[in-house]
Amino acid sequence: MGGSGPNESLVARAIAGDRVAFGVLVERYAGQARRVARAVLGDPDDADDAAQDGFLSALVKLAQYDPRRPFGPWLMRIVANAATDRRRRRNVRRSEPLEPSLVGGGPRPDAAAIRSELGDRLRAALAELPERRRKAVVLFDVEGYSHAEIAGILGIPEGTVRSEVFHARRHLRTLLADWKEPTT
Amino acid sequence: MKDSQPFDHRPDPELGAALRAALDPQGDQSAFVVRVMAQYDNALDRASIPTLEVLASWFRPGIAAAAAALVLGFLFGRTVLEPTPATESFDAAMAPAEGPGLAALVMAQDPPDASVVLTSLVEPQ
Repeated sequence: MGGSGPNESLVARAIAGDRVAFGVLVERYAGQARRVARAVLGDPDDADDAAQDGFLSALVKLAQYDPRRPFGPWLMRIVANAATDRRRRRNVRRSEPLEPSLVGGGPRPDAAAIRSELGDRLRAALAELPERRRKAVVLFDVEGYSHAEIAGILGIPEGTVRSEVFHARRHLRTLLADWKEPTT
Repeated sequence: MKDSQPFDHRPDPELGAALRAALDPQGDQSAFVVRVMAQYDNALDRASIPTLEVLASWFRPGIAAAAAALVLGFLFGRTVLEPTPATESFDAAMAPAEGPGLAALVMAQDPPDASVVLTSLVEPQ
């Protein structure tokens, strides 16, 4: 997958200097890029800065893009690296301590609050994971990239991607197990 | 969320949807696009300047490194490839400047004249 769609002509136009075509690509991949960056950085403002860095970095590297390969993984690699660079520059490891109520065992909120609490809890759970694991599970389960594509994005073997996704899922599911919305 | 096998190759839609909701940006997507596109020209301008700067910064050290490599290569080559003086053969080294040589003395059937032997020992050259 990877933000599928007929990107070839858009990319070709963007390489040729078509500003509008590049704008369409940004629009198409903005959500994905911002989510991946947020998985790395946690803070939404930092994530948007990193996603912007990624898009602009991709813009100046467009001539290096191989049009025979899918555009999404190429772009996501740049965005993910931009997010990692920003995190390193910030020199703050986003492993903010989880609130006890988010870690589990706290009182269960009423059903109306569960959805928003679930988001907090998931972000906190993600923050506990190593960065590469975070990227892998988000790229796989949220963005729909294949293991092979993620291997290319992260620059690691495909088997390592499978392992990272598995461990991330196990961690997230454990934390979320007792937080499922009540089903009828 | 359903359990999956360790190396499940299929995305988990339930976990994926929950994560997407947790990570989805709250702000307006179009505002983000506008923000990125506002930097379009600046990014291209900045990209061209650093390239020249980097090349310029490499230029002088590169020249110096090349010159140093040439000098070192020359010195090394001269040291390694300079012809060493040919070693003399044993016979040539032992040959006296005058008179019969050592071989002649050893191979002779008659005992050597003592004055000749002493002369070779005292005056090897």
